[in-house]
Amino acid sequence: MGLLTSKERRHFPDWDDPAQCMFQRVTIDLEKCDGCKLCTLACPANVLEQFGPKGAKKVRVKADHRGCISCNNCHAICENGAIRATQSYDFVGFYRRFGLGEFSKPRVF
Amino acid sequence: MTEAGVRVPALEDAEEAEKEAGRVSKIPVVPQGAPWTAVERVMFERRSIRKFRKTQVPAHVIRRLLEVARFAPSQGNCQPWKLVVVRDAAMIQGMEDFCVGECRKLTESLDYATMRKGSLKYRVARAKTKVFGRLQPNMLHPVPITACTAIAQGRFAVFHHAPTVILVLMDKRAIGVPAIDIGICGTNIVLAAQSLGLGTCWVGFSKFLNESKEWCAKFGAEDPFEIEEAICVGYPVGDTTHLIPRETHETAWFEGGKRELIY
Repeated sequence: MGLLTSKERRHFPDWDDPAQCMFQRVTIDLEKCDGCKLCTLACPANVLEQFGPKGAKKVRVKADHRGCISCNNCHAICENGAIRATQSYDFVGFYRRFGLGEFSKPRVF
Repeated sequence: MTEAGVRVPALEDAEEAEKEAGRVSKIPVVPQGAPWTAVERVMFERRSIRKFRKTQVPAHVIRRLLEVARFAPSQGNCQPWKLVVVRDAAMIQGMEDFCVGECRKLTESLDYATMRKGSLKYRVARAKTKVFGRLQPNMLHPVPITACTAIAQGRFAVFHHAPTVILVLMDKRAIGVPAIDIGICGTNIVLAAQSLGLGTCWVGFSKFLNESKEWCAKFGAEDPFEIEEAICVGYPVGDTTHLIPRETHETAWFEGGKRELIY
């Protein structure tokens, strides 16, 4: 026995299937983004890119869902709070995660 | 049952002894809602940095990191670590090239996501991962495999062009679970580095260097030692200290005969 069902235990998820292996995703608030490009430069996985007309560039996530490594440096480097993680790693089957609650910044107790 | 004649000494009450010696100090409870201490702040502001300035970290600053490493706790105080500091760009590039090569080998044989779906190669690789995954679930986790492929394809780096790399070697014969001690030793380094304005990144892919006799001989990573981790050190590009949100985790709290779940 254990927390995984026997079916889950046998199910080794396909890492090329976004429905089985959810990698971190970030959401960008284009109102707040001032196109400073620091997040794009800081991203070690190279999943961000600039777009839009010269002088009014913004940032967006490239199409490849397998890119983001969940380092959160884009958020940590942003002066405007324009970019944040909205989905963390999650997996079905063998690698299912347990006991996760809401996202929260460091709290004071 | 105790045998006649064997006397078990009565346990001394440490708090009583403290009182008798006149050494009772105030219990330093932090008030509720008090601001974070410097140590707490460093823990919250630390990110894994992978974009470093080219400027080398002064030697004395690295010596400070080695000094906090020396005082890390370990099982039975066995101190199963041996640190190697590499600060020559050409040498770090050589380590990078070797690890990239190893990643390529792994990706080519295992990462079916890079192969044509349905092809024989795809099916063989996929079947292989299902078997190996059961034997090595940590290494064949989707996250490191994805990173491995990104390294193989040149989209991601191993040592991130850091000016200094500290290799953390582990004595495999040490007490209990030496890998935990390596983690604690490295944590001392990483947190002290953060407090000194440095950025750091743990590099597990550095373990690939164990596959090379030449690198191992150079580093002294020979039996009973092996490379367990590496820590990249340098000054980060940009201010990465804005606080980020993270998942809270279910925690069971037993008190007053009750069990409560907190997050």
